[in-house]
Amino acid sequence: MIPSPSHRAFLPRIHACIGIALALAFCGAPRRLGAENILIKGAVIHTVSGSVISPGQIWIKDAKIQDVGERIDAPEAVSVDLTGQHVYPGLIAASTALGLTEIGAIRATHDMREVGKFNPDVRSWIAMNPDSELIPVARANGIAHIVPTPQGGLIAGHSGLVALEGWTMELMVAKKPLALHVEWPEMNLDTTPKDQFRDKAKWKSPEDLAKDRRKDLAQLESFFQDAAAYVRARDNNAEVRPQPAWEAMRPCLRGDIPVVVHADDLRAIQAAVQWARTNQLRLIISGGRDASLAASLLASNQVSVIFEHVFTRSLRDTEPYDHLYHAPAALQQAGVTIALSAGTGEMSETEIRNLPYHAAQAVAYGMRREDALKTITLNPAKMFGVADRLGSIEKGKEATLIATDGDLLDIRSHVTRMWIAGQPSSLETRHTRLYEKYRRRPNAR
Amino acid sequence: MNWFASVFGVALGISGPVLRASEILPPGHRPLPPDAHAFTNARLILDPKTIVTNGTLIIRNGRVESAGASLPIPPDARVWNLAGASLYPAFIEPYWVQSSAAQPINTAQFMPIQNNSVESLTAGGHFGFYGVPGEERDPGAPGVGYELGTITPERQMAAQFVPDLKGAEELRELGFAVACAAPDKGILRGESCLISLAEANPNEVMLKSELFQHIAFDTDSGKENAYPKSLMGVIAAWRQVFLDAARYAEEQGAYARSPKQGQRPALNAALAALQPASEGRQRVILEPGSALMMDRAAKVARELKLDFALVSCGQEWRRPDLVAGWGAPIIVPAAFPSLPRFAQEDDWIQVSLDPLRAWDWAPENAALLRQKGATIALTTYGLTERGDFRKNLRRALDRGLSETDALAALTLVPARLCGAEDQLGSLEAGKLANFFILDGASYFDPEARLREVWIEGRRYPAKSEPPTPPKPSDKPKPKPTDKTRDLEKTRIARSPLEGRGPIASPQAVLIDDATLWTCGPSGKVENGSLLIVDGKIQGAGRVVTVPAELGPKLIRVSATGMHVTPGLIDAHNHSMILGGVNEGTLPSTAMVRIRDVINSEAGTIYQQLAGGLTAANELHGSANPIGGQNAVIKLRDGAAPDDLLMVDAPPGIKFALGENVKQSNWGEKSVTRYPQTRMGVPSFYANRFTAARQYLADWERFRAQGGLAPRRDLELEALGEILEGKRWIHCHSYRQDEILAFLRVMEDFGVRVATLQHVLEGYKIADEIARHGAGASCFSDWWAYKFEVYDAIPYAGSLMHQRGVLVSFNSDSSDLARRLNLEAAKAVKYGGVSEEDALKFVTINPARQLRIDSKVGSLEPGKDGDFVLWSGSPLDSSTRCLQTWIEGRKYFDRELEPKRASALASERTRLIEKAKAILGSADAPVGSDASRAAFFRRAWETTRRLDVQQCQDCLLPRSQP
Repeated sequence: MIPSPSHRAFLPRIHACIGIALALAFCGAPRRLGAENILIKGAVIHTVSGSVISPGQIWIKDAKIQDVGERIDAPEAVSVDLTGQHVYPGLIAASTALGLTEIGAIRATHDMREVGKFNPDVRSWIAMNPDSELIPVARANGIAHIVPTPQGGLIAGHSGLVALEGWTMELMVAKKPLALHVEWPEMNLDTTPKDQFRDKAKWKSPEDLAKDRRKDLAQLESFFQDAAAYVRARDNNAEVRPQPAWEAMRPCLRGDIPVVVHADDLRAIQAAVQWARTNQLRLIISGGRDASLAASLLASNQVSVIFEHVFTRSLRDTEPYDHLYHAPAALQQAGVTIALSAGTGEMSETEIRNLPYHAAQAVAYGMRREDALKTITLNPAKMFGVADRLGSIEKGKEATLIATDGDLLDIRSHVTRMWIAGQPSSLETRHTRLYEKYRRRPNAR
Repeated sequence: MNWFASVFGVALGISGPVLRASEILPPGHRPLPPDAHAFTNARLILDPKTIVTNGTLIIRNGRVESAGASLPIPPDARVWNLAGASLYPAFIEPYWVQSSAAQPINTAQFMPIQNNSVESLTAGGHFGFYGVPGEERDPGAPGVGYELGTITPERQMAAQFVPDLKGAEELRELGFAVACAAPDKGILRGESCLISLAEANPNEVMLKSELFQHIAFDTDSGKENAYPKSLMGVIAAWRQVFLDAARYAEEQGAYARSPKQGQRPALNAALAALQPASEGRQRVILEPGSALMMDRAAKVARELKLDFALVSCGQEWRRPDLVAGWGAPIIVPAAFPSLPRFAQEDDWIQVSLDPLRAWDWAPENAALLRQKGATIALTTYGLTERGDFRKNLRRALDRGLSETDALAALTLVPARLCGAEDQLGSLEAGKLANFFILDGASYFDPEARLREVWIEGRRYPAKSEPPTPPKPSDKPKPKPTDKTRDLEKTRIARSPLEGRGPIASPQAVLIDDATLWTCGPSGKVENGSLLIVDGKIQGAGRVVTVPAELGPKLIRVSATGMHVTPGLIDAHNHSMILGGVNEGTLPSTAMVRIRDVINSEAGTIYQQLAGGLTAANELHGSANPIGGQNAVIKLRDGAAPDDLLMVDAPPGIKFALGENVKQSNWGEKSVTRYPQTRMGVPSFYANRFTAARQYLADWERFRAQGGLAPRRDLELEALGEILEGKRWIHCHSYRQDEILAFLRVMEDFGVRVATLQHVLEGYKIADEIARHGAGASCFSDWWAYKFEVYDAIPYAGSLMHQRGVLVSFNSDSSDLARRLNLEAAKAVKYGGVSEEDALKFVTINPARQLRIDSKVGSLEPGKDGDFVLWSGSPLDSSTRCLQTWIEGRKYFDRELEPKRASALASERTRLIEKAKAILGSADAPVGSDASRAAFFRRAWETTRRLDVQQCQDCLLPRSQP
């Protein structure tokens, strides 16, 4: 059903395929049935959406949370005693390169950045390697779902929501397409003098840079206008020649999925908000280094932010040393919905396993612990329209849970159990295997 | 027509010092002007301190005959009535770099290795090991000379001097008559000459050849990737060349004494040319390029016993406290950055505080140098539009430079600097008749027109037309406003040192009722106290006796509910290094020293203090098997580079194995430098250590038997120190096989390795590492960023710890260095190290690895008072660092942060207001393109490239915007 690369050349067929893919994306059918029928007992339940139940019980059956509360009657269920442990919803990592790359220095393993400026028909989830060694490592720290994010160009492509468990890429996808990704053109002038520029032949004057930027913005604008015309024609059953790129723009332009704009600089963020308002798009800012400087603008336009910079060093020499540690709290207090991520930069695909500790840093510098927990669970679920299924421990939601032996946000704690869609998930990793192997190495002294 | 003939033609018309009035020209030629002139009724500036109103100057045969008030006029003199005009001794330009007037040396820092070029690796003779025969792409510079292309002390400006008529005219228009023509390329650039700016043939204008030797800290010239490409490499090359020059003299002397003995020494034009400078007979002009490098240049010059002067970078305001120690004249450019012109108002959000400070301080720099006691000479160097010179001088005067000092800086000081004070610099009788005439009272009024310059008795009228006298019908011209000038007079920028340094320096401090993580034999102490007196720990434990005599000198900090740990120590850090972390050109760069390039001005120091870090091992990068010498520093923010050094730390050196040294990820072109495999790496070490052993033996033989001393080789000297057990190896390493091979080759040479850095597969051979006795300084959980770290596991630290290896966790990143306590917590998570032992991974263990554990690393009596106050357990990820103390002084206090940050922010706001007010005024200066670009030039001290965001050691080709 997913078009293979060889089908791409055949336009009418790809047209049909995309149509079916989109239809599937919104049917919301369970991907697989959970065989387990269990009752978790004795644990502190962090529902995220509601209050903490200490201790409480969760009944899992048919891949779903049948019930949650202090005491649940589930006579058929097998009891799982987690006394003294904590249970949380599985974590969701927005904006990541995980799954799209294996080894940073080896180009052959990179699948996160396509060439070309306009790639709405690029879909990230199909390039996920289900057997990436990085996936179990992220899972072992509680990450259950990720948003593998396409990069590059102006329109980078579409992302999907992917569960970190499953035999094939098709079985792992939880929602597709999830969002359209736009890389906002650089709005800062590169003020580096020519004599200090690395490649002097490529140096451009600030005027030329401003010209390039205007051109990029105009291209972005006209691309969306043309796409909108195409979508209107298709929706009115007008005679149009199918174009894969325009076709791929339909879910976003119909408002079915959000557009994620990747932007860090203040002016880029401000411009993106303005643009989304004009074009009536549902906007999420990802990156958002300067977002806290535009917090009220973001809040009043109901733009949510995937904040990737808790551990980035301050850009400006006048910022307090804890400016970016504190930014999530500042955004939250201004009323912006935020999710945290380790971004898509160098080494982010391995750093993502520390996602809970990014949230902990936000707590250390001003965020309430329960709000910080939401930034890696319910908030990204809401942003991407899957909060009916994921992101909290509520009756009827998917049974994607983790158990820990302590506060999830504390580095010293361990994830002890994990269920993805009601199925127990292994916490074994390349790391634990090597650990076990060499722990048993006979003493060589 | 050749050049000489054309100039001779000109000379026949108006000038030419060789032709005197008495000479008889052929019929039909205009006879030459008379040789004697009298200038009367002038405001006569005899020297900077002596001004005669209504004075007379008499010159004859190109020299001053007499000057003073009411002199008799010789009957044969042509008389020039200068009523209303001033007559100044002409100026001397001490640093005329003709071909690159607007280009001070490049202070941007690039990683040379990213250029993927091979040439570098084969740059020349002595400097290492360049690839196997047949694979050297560039066997070095052709011809005689030194083996590095950027070391050309034999280059003589006098020998290749071609008069620059246009340039000379530009200088004359500013009142200059003489200039030091300086060479423009390379590091050891060659010898300048002193020339007259008269229009005459080259022989006549030459006043002195072999004037100065010139050195610039230029990392950007020379072939791509040729050694040296970092600041520390430049300094090391400078040292080595002067050592070679001294040896050359000895060697040649010995050969001259007994020409029939020993091997005939080679003749080397470069080393021969360096003799006068090396022996202190010729002055060396140093252009270091940055404020901190001014200090380093002065120190190295003194170490080499050179007679030297410095060329200012224009930013000594960054560290004016260092100036007093230089003890050398300073040549100060009058080039200042101009304000940028932005297309949009909101472009100002891009302008951070530092360039605004640089702009606001620039005109004051010369006055500041004088105030600090420096002797200064002024130069036009760095000005693309020389017309800005006088305007900028007035700005400098408006900021406190006295007119007398400015005049001296243009006349007597450069005359003395050039050793020509008997000929130049004042209107003393007998000196050359070099002077200029100004319509008006002061040269420092840019509106006053410079009428003409006289050079050795010949007249050069200004190009500009004299102003026509106003007709009665003309409306009076509106006086130009002075709004910009008024605005510029007041400096808004604060000193970058303001608000840095210790916040409190009590004689004694007592921390009460805290949970103490002593990291020593007392373990963790609840409700404990810590007493520090005179910077040293006096007591740490449940009960601490406070000597009564401390009395009011004692500060008490009640720390109920808080935790106290020793100051954190980072065994692998690159954050405070200036001008390149890697000298990544040659496979062995043991001669380069990080301590030459410590960046005390890095903003990261404060950020890392704010995370509890108090000491760091500043390491060279991992681009070559043998990197540079390390420096262990304390984060005493505000102190000068040498005052950051931890003097008790034994010296160390960086080594590296694996993909980086094999250049695996440097692109397809980097395939010829030795070694390219893990087979070759140990062979390379064996080769260098054999050479070092031989080197030590040569010196041993010399000390026993005398004779000609062996050549001092800074690379082998450092390696020899390792063999002697005086220098410790910190080796970047990943895979188990390469680690074992490395340990074995070191054992063959009797060397124990101090630390294996990163050592991500060390867990596979923990027993072997423990048996060798090396420490392991790892990343807590990095992996998969390249192939050799695919087997890296976060359990590595705990596995090695459990098998008896001394383990620390390091940062290798300016981010992680802000939160090493949280890295330590990962040892608890992965592998179950006890909390107390885990904290030791970032305190006493790195101290032991660096051999500084007798001073730091634990809270034990007698050790340095370095500690951190935390809001909760240091291993809890929601804990904040509240205070950081070093040697009993408080360097960070979280409570003061809002005040500190808002002072910086309001300074920036006020600077932008000032800038906008100037740009909005009617007489706003536009500035040259170069001066506007200079606004955004980054100093080495602030180059962002150095503010390492991510792993310097990865050297990944992938770079993020």
